[in-house]
Amino acid sequence: MSMWRNILGPRQKLDGGLFLPDHKSITARRPIEEMEIDGPLHVPLQIRRDLPATARVEPDDCVLGGELLAHADGSDSVSVSAPTSGKIVALERVWTAADGFLPGAVLEPDGRDEWVQPRQRWESESFVWQLADCGVMCTTPRGPGHALIRAAAAASVTDLIVNAMETEPYLTADLRSLVEEPGRLIDATCEIAGALGARRVLFVLPFRHRRVVARMEAEARGRFVEVVPLANRYPQCDPIVLVKTLLDREVVPGGSVLDVGAVVVPLAMVRATGDAVLGGRPVTQALMTVAGDAVDHAGTYRVPVGTPMRRIAERAGLIGPVARAISGGPLMGVPLGRDDAVVTADTTALLLFSDGGPRPNPVPCIRCGWCVEDCPVGLDPSELMHLEAEHECDPIDLARLRVCVDCGLCSYVCPAQLPLAASIKRARSRFEKTRRHATAAFE
Amino acid sequence: MTDWSARGAPHCRGGDTHRNMLGAWIAASAMVAFCGVVMFGPHALTTLIVAILTAVAADMAVAFALRRPVIGGASHACLIGLLLGLMLPATVPWYVPMFGSLVAIVLAKGLFGGLGHYTWQPAVVGRVVVQFLFTGHLSLTSALAMSPVLAPDHILAGDIDIDHAQPITMATYRGWFEVDGPARADAWLMERPVQALRRFAEGKIPPDGDQVYEPLLRDALPPWRDTLLGMVPGGIGESCTIALIVAGLFLIYRGYLRWQLPVTMLAAAALAAAILPVESGEQAGGYRWLPVLAVEQGRAVGLAYVMYHLTAGQLMLGAFLVAGDMISTPMRARGQIIFAAGIGVATVFMRLYGTLAGECYWSILIMNWLVSTIDRRTKRPVLGMAA
Ligand code: SF4
Ligand code: SF4
Repeated sequence: MSMWRNILGPRQKLDGGLFLPDHKSITARRPIEEMEIDGPLHVPLQIRRDLPATARVEPDDCVLGGELLAHADGSDSVSVSAPTSGKIVALERVWTAADGFLPGAVLEPDGRDEWVQPRQRWESESFVWQLADCGVMCTTPRGPGHALIRAAAAASVTDLIVNAMETEPYLTADLRSLVEEPGRLIDATCEIAGALGARRVLFVLPFRHRRVVARMEAEARGRFVEVVPLANRYPQCDPIVLVKTLLDREVVPGGSVLDVGAVVVPLAMVRATGDAVLGGRPVTQALMTVAGDAVDHAGTYRVPVGTPMRRIAERAGLIGPVARAISGGPLMGVPLGRDDAVVTADTTALLLFSDGGPRPNPVPCIRCGWCVEDCPVGLDPSELMHLEAEHECDPIDLARLRVCVDCGLCSYVCPAQLPLAASIKRARSRFEKTRRHATAAFE
Repeated sequence: MTDWSARGAPHCRGGDTHRNMLGAWIAASAMVAFCGVVMFGPHALTTLIVAILTAVAADMAVAFALRRPVIGGASHACLIGLLLGLMLPATVPWYVPMFGSLVAIVLAKGLFGGLGHYTWQPAVVGRVVVQFLFTGHLSLTSALAMSPVLAPDHILAGDIDIDHAQPITMATYRGWFEVDGPARADAWLMERPVQALRRFAEGKIPPDGDQVYEPLLRDALPPWRDTLLGMVPGGIGESCTIALIVAGLFLIYRGYLRWQLPVTMLAAAALAAAILPVESGEQAGGYRWLPVLAVEQGRAVGLAYVMYHLTAGQLMLGAFLVAGDMISTPMRARGQIIFAAGIGVATVFMRLYGTLAGECYWSILIMNWLVSTIDRRTKRPVLGMAA
């Protein structure tokens, strides 16, 4: 990094956004640990409700680690492999934070943790097939990794952006893997870039971790990967915002970054791709941060898929009673209503707090304008909020609702404590539904 | 299975609430009010207390009558009462602040829909209305030029009474600190600095030979230091410029006041004062443009004239405490720059060519009225909707 960049900061800046208190100081310093879990694993056999897979095991079957548990049905589904060796006890529904109940298998580990041979890399097998076979998942947008790569190839994207901007507070999984396995991440990035035929490869990471940036720059030298540090403003991690900042391309409302010739791959998917394509290992673990003020030993852990969150909380140790739990970051994460939710391949964090969280006590908007200035896409949330109570909305307003990236920053800053982001989300889903009905009736 | 509570994202808040904000504004205003009470004595305290108590009582009555919950407790009404008191001189009888608060809360706040909905800043509305109603105490057209200020050894306790105050000859007055011997009366009567500036702009201060500005600075105005520290007559919160700046910096530091607003307002006022012409005494109808460039006997009198415009009263109070009220200002920093520039220019313009007293408050009301237009013109471009 040159001296001038050190002083002046990154060149590209996000219009809006906010530096949040990041609460990472504890977990960012602790190395990644394997979390040993005893007791049964409840492995979901699908990664999303709408992507079916057929179970390949029966109760009382014995499986080795890495053996196929469910096979993909259809071209978008992915296969699921066993996280360790053991016996299948039952096939039953499991609860996941993002999708509710999914079909799953209960695996009683035998403690020996025996694995099948790593899969050989066949030249004849396509990159996309390998990703599907190994169960690689993408976190944003949430879905199968191979489908993202396939869509990107079909859209003939020119820019590949690897997103390591973990701007939400508490989350350190990406940061820790940048520190611990930088070379492998660059290798995996090159694999993806090769499969896509991308012309430009950008590796985006937080500017404030200068030593990590320097290390990644050294790793990337001579490998056609541009390392781009960006300021840690939340929500710089959002793909649409990232493409605007980096490439100055604007996605039309409701569109995706593929429309403007770029694909944004989250670092978690790069990690999984490295394991799958370079190591021949299927995705059976999630790298996740366990943190929050109720947790005793906060840190970044490798946790087998299918571990109930309650187990993780017990292993990490609790200081006091847990009043609320969140899967994912504190701004965009999913609240966990029940403690038998299980870890899935795309889980990034488990946050446990001993307080009940913000109690909304809204008053009328006091026109401070903070939501307007901080919105990363230039919306006026105080105005859009009123659409929730309307009966219909005109196309311009619907387009505005669709531009919103659901970052939650407007609710975060609002001194009147209005539920801005939630209202916008509700209004959008309602009006999109009525519009679909209208078009259906018209046709 | 135990239940963990579930509420929608986001799961954390920034922590600034409207209560913290109102608290900070009240603290900042209270600091200015304290300086005002020191300078103007117990009468100032009564004025402030009457204004605050009436405002709080009226707010509760309005909430009760309209069956609305009182939002933010009594703090918003308290702030409005406090600001109204700061804009009034200490010499007014008790019913003036009382009536002003009633107007502010019932008309300007209550009828417009309460917190978050009003268009005109209620305290300013109250101030302007009492100016119409009680012309005897608050001149509408600045005929009541003389007002009192406490003498040095009578601060905090002196009786500020306009009838018993001792008139001062400005030409021999060397400043509040420089007077020898005990004063005969508790208070001195002198011309308000704004008033002197107004007379000057109308060409009513005769030039001394070829010196035009020197008579104003020497014979009509107290030393600039006095206007900075607040030993000049005027509203309770108008005169102590230092306290106002500190209060404003505190609000800016807490993030509740955008620095762009006071800075633009003062810069625009300074620019307007620097450029807009003043009538020169010797030939009637002759205007001198660019007064800032005037140099007399090697002294930059023009610059001094502009500085007096900034500190003479009202403008500082307006910039740091009154105009920044979030509810009646534009949403974005950009809009606030336009808004504040408008106030600054309009204030100086009205001061130089208008006859209405309380020019800064009128300017604030005018610009409040333009807020929705400004907001419409300064929308942010939405990503992907460039049209
Ligand atoms: S949630 Fe939507 S409206 Fe609110 S700040 Fe984020 S993008 Fe803007
Ligand atoms: S942040 Fe809240 S109070 Fe401020 S303008 Fe937006 S909606 Fe209004």
